Amino acid sequence: MAEMVNLTIDGHEVAVPRGTTILEAAKTIGSEVPHYCYHPGMSSPAMCRLCLVEVEGAPKPMPGCVTTVMEGQVVNTQSEQALSNRRGVLEFYLVNHPLDCPICDMSGECNLQDYVHDEGREHGRGREPKRIFGRDDFGGDVLFYGDRCVMCTRCVRFMSEVEQDHRLTVVERGNRSVIDTFYDEGLDGTNWHGNIVDICPVGALVSKDFLHKARAWDLTHTPSVCTSCSQGCNIDLHTRDNLVQRIKPRENLDVNAWWICDHGRHNYEWMNRGDRLEAPVMRSDSGSQAMGWGDALRALLEKSDGGGSVKAVASAMSSNEDLGALKALVDAMGGGEILYRSARAEDEVPLRGFPLLARRKDLSANSTAADLIGANRVGADDGTGGLDEVSNHDGIVLVLNDDLADQKEDFGNNASLFVYLGTHDSPGAAKADLVLPVTSHAEGEGTFTNHERRVQRFAKALDAPGMARPAWLVLGALVAEKGEGPAPRSAADAFAAMSSSVAAFAGITWDDLGTRGAVLNESVSVTGD
Amino acid sequence: MSNVPFKNPGWAGNTGEFDLTENQIRGDDFVGERPAHGGHASGAGTMPYMLSEKQPDAPLFEGEYRERLDKVLSRYPTKQAALLPALGLAQEIRGHISPESMDEVAEALGLSPAYVRGVATFYTMYNKRPVGRHLIQVCTNISCNLAGADDVVDAFLKYTDTGLGETSEDGNFTVIEAECLAACGFPTCVQINSRYYENVTPTEVPKICEHLKGQGE
Repeated sequence: MAEMVNLTIDGHEVAVPRGTTILEAAKTIGSEVPHYCYHPGMSSPAMCRLCLVEVEGAPKPMPGCVTTVMEGQVVNTQSEQALSNRRGVLEFYLVNHPLDCPICDMSGECNLQDYVHDEGREHGRGREPKRIFGRDDFGGDVLFYGDRCVMCTRCVRFMSEVEQDHRLTVVERGNRSVIDTFYDEGLDGTNWHGNIVDICPVGALVSKDFLHKARAWDLTHTPSVCTSCSQGCNIDLHTRDNLVQRIKPRENLDVNAWWICDHGRHNYEWMNRGDRLEAPVMRSDSGSQAMGWGDALRALLEKSDGGGSVKAVASAMSSNEDLGALKALVDAMGGGEILYRSARAEDEVPLRGFPLLARRKDLSANSTAADLIGANRVGADDGTGGLDEVSNHDGIVLVLNDDLADQKEDFGNNASLFVYLGTHDSPGAAKADLVLPVTSHAEGEGTFTNHERRVQRFAKALDAPGMARPAWLVLGALVAEKGEGPAPRSAADAFAAMSSSVAAFAGITWDDLGTRGAVLNESVSVTGD
Repeated sequence: MSNVPFKNPGWAGNTGEFDLTENQIRGDDFVGERPAHGGHASGAGTMPYMLSEKQPDAPLFEGEYRERLDKVLSRYPTKQAALLPALGLAQEIRGHISPESMDEVAEALGLSPAYVRGVATFYTMYNKRPVGRHLIQVCTNISCNLAGADDVVDAFLKYTDTGLGETSEDGNFTVIEAECLAACGFPTCVQINSRYYENVTPTEVPKICEHLKGQGE
């Protein structure tokens, strides 16, 4: 335990570890000292001069982001002096700022807008023309509006300290200084540059993908987990009109801190696909018949009776609850093999400045859990092949969320019953005897297990189309019909059922997961690879 | 000059090798025309010359200049720290620092080109564009201004028939304004390449330029 230091901030007694900065100490009492250049994940140059606070006894205002606390210190972040400092600094920030908030993507979540609104002058006093830089395409996904920039250099420090590819710099000096790359070099070829858009406190760096797409105040933020690899980065899905508009990182110091990779950031269009399965469909010689869930499940139970042994194919993108329920159903049907396929990248893409984080070789969100329930990985590293035995299987074939795009026409022709649970219209759905529409991860609650066996929750961001239901609800109801315990009524129920049946998940409850997730018991070995 | 050995010559730190006399430190190697290899290592990183002969296509850091860069590097704890003198060398050889030069300097010092660009553009004494054979920097800061520096600038511009920062048609002159040249006792001060011309008045401008042309051609 670090030595604690007692001080007074805005009249509140605070005890924080020695070495804490005033800015961080003020956060503990809910007092947010305005700042631009300071970011907890990077060095503090104390150059924005906005976090100047009054320290009693000090001859001049102190920058809160680099001044560490001292015993008995009395700090005022909201005194007349501190407010007038900030009002003055903010007026300087507006000397050249174009105030084009109505057409700026950052409007609504912009620190300059917020601070000036809260503490700035009501009217500008400037009479001089503003200097004009215009726009610069930095390559990749980044567009730079030089006039909006407040020269906090967060982006420069992110590239040099965190990504450690010093592509950005401050060019020229004084009034003419501007952020730029080496002439036309740009940011192309870097894998984490999307983060500079997140950390830009104003609208200087904006995403081309999100450019003029939605206003910040129209977006609903839902905590979720990235599915683009097994790292399990914490993200927020920003949605509007039941569509995911963009992905932003969500802070979790155990997994991804404040960062996510560009690949994950832009991999959201699949959640917005329109070609969804919306109702259970039974296929027979007389054609296809859409039906209600009750009829579909009754038909399934009827046909599966005496249908032979079970072989299941699960997608490693399925949640823990889905996989746990699938395992329970396969067991309830007399046991059988569960297979999954998972694409692997050739190399990891590490983030040098934050070693815990990398885009992992395992490109599936949940292959760890698939291993833990005893499923076997088959197929090649591009996520195809390996299903020959299932294709010709003469018993029951269950497919969960694997689109089977690489499989031949005769997949499942010999099966006594071929049930397909999926989200999208796919080759798999076109062949199955019974097609059951399930929700995508954005449309329901659940958990993923990442590469270090950390179980993390995600929440429901979108409304599911038509009659699509979570796979754990469908599979859980079938398990209950087979007489194996009660049907789950929530993702928490499904998780509890899983943790009671899968050894690796024993002892972890839904409540343990919290916002940062919980790591599974280390002593249980992982099967498979 | 004194023959007393130096204890600490002051600019690059006393690393213990200074049993040199003032004559050796400030002597022939460092006054007047200095050799391209830079003389003693302790002075090799100091203010570079601005030579009238500029070779925009010359290779950087080869031969004597490689020797000089190595001497400079030996005086700094990291390669990054030697960036300013390295840029100075590039400017001495090529007359200005082009994007290509920045890239080559970055390569030589193991830095990112963007970082080198940031540094090179921060300092006004690095020419980012080609300049004439004689770079005429007229001080227009307070002391010189009070003594009529603006007229001196105008006289130079009139003689060379250029605007500020432009290079004359014959390629001889580029006239720019400079902030204080630290010669406030001798206004107006004009720095032409590496040399100071002090107490310059507008009437002397043609004479100076004629002299320079004689020298330059």
